[in-house]
Amino acid sequence: MTTLKRLQNNYLISYVSKPVGAMPVTRLLYPLFQLGNPQLRILRPNWFLTLVRPGKEQPPDTVQFRIPMEMTKCDVKNYLEKIYNVPVGAVRTRIQFGSNKKRNHLNQKVKQPDYKVAYVQLAQGQTFTFPDIFPEKERMPAEGSMEEMQEKFMEDEKQRQKLDPRRGGVTEWFGL
Amino acid sequence: MAASSSVGRVLTLCKQFQNVIRISSSINTQHCSTTLIKYQPLLYREKSPLAALSGYSPVSSVGQCRALHTTINRRGLEEFFDLPENWGETNVKSGAPWTAKQLRTKSNEDLHKLWYVLLKEKNLLLTLEQEARRQRVQMPSPERSKKVERSMIRLETVVKERETALRLLQTGQEKARPGAWRRNIFGYVYWYRFKEYAIPWHMNRRYKRKRFFTPKFVQPHIRLRIEQHLREKARKATLDKKTQSILKEKFPHVKVSAS
Repeated sequence: MTTLKRLQNNYLISYVSKPVGAMPVTRLLYPLFQLGNPQLRILRPNWFLTLVRPGKEQPPDTVQFRIPMEMTKCDVKNYLEKIYNVPVGAVRTRIQFGSNKKRNHLNQKVKQPDYKVAYVQLAQGQTFTFPDIFPEKERMPAEGSMEEMQEKFMEDEKQRQKLDPRRGGVTEWFGL
Repeated sequence: MAASSSVGRVLTLCKQFQNVIRISSSINTQHCSTTLIKYQPLLYREKSPLAALSGYSPVSSVGQCRALHTTINRRGLEEFFDLPENWGETNVKSGAPWTAKQLRTKSNEDLHKLWYVLLKEKNLLLTLEQEARRQRVQMPSPERSKKVERSMIRLETVVKERETALRLLQTGQEKARPGAWRRNIFGYVYWYRFKEYAIPWHMNRRYKRKRFFTPKFVQPHIRLRIEQHLREKARKATLDKKTQSILKEKFPHVKVSAS
């Protein structure tokens, strides 16, 4: 019974939910670590990574992530190796300060949230380029659908707005 | 984990497969996983995170069979992105979120795996959202994020339910985290939840600053607070009564439900 073994270690990993309005991120209370304790294992991790396109040019083996503030370099390494099976060489992190400069219509300062960025270098000579996820696609709207009618209407409107082609590009500003 | 399941399972991999794969207990699970590598190209996203699209359904069978795990993760960083044919689409179809009722029928191992499937899906959607913001383009089917979020919350509740049930049966404790009713400096009694410390409480300076008792000069204010609360209640009751009497005058025939 695997659940029995878990009971002793994890009873203190309790969850406190944040107030309504915030993203339902549960706050973990980790059991205290003292020398000789077993390795802490987290079942069902509540951490989500966002792969982002680098703003500045990065070396070909570097992948850039936005990670939650609570994660460390070791956590990122284990996360990618265990869950995604990605060989990780080195991880460097930094915390990006979200600006507090902008003001809203009430002249109150509006804070953009801070976030942690991780630069992960892949091992075994692997490279990664951020792909183009929004390529231009030829979309033909379905026959008889709303989109087709709308598109046809827009095309007719544009045709009507155009000047008489016999004028050869001369505008209507002149009297003739 | 393979040893724990004495009852055998036969897994139908996905709807594309008609033949059922059965492994006898003598054969090693690892050996089985290698034989299925040739099916890899077809198993793209066989484990869809949303219930309606899932073609995966374990069927228990008679006889001694080992549990078989066939999802071999070979895609690495590609799992942060959708399937290439969905790139550039404006609408991506997705099924319904998992309900608590459906999740309660699944075993612990299945729930554990589902959590990671949902986690990967959420990472995918977060990367997609961020990239859409970067390229100033609308994210295709943003409702997927909410579906995954709700499924994860429901999974968490189901797992917690099971853990509380087990704890109640084994130890009789209702709460996972120990606590006590304590009075704070302001005179309020609340449920204080214990925190783990390396030193005893009488050596803990920060803990002693918290003071779980009310000083003497705060005592009179507690009574004043109670009086305020009662006055508030009385005001509310009289207001209710007044509105009811006015309404009764205006509409004598309307029946008022007993509240």
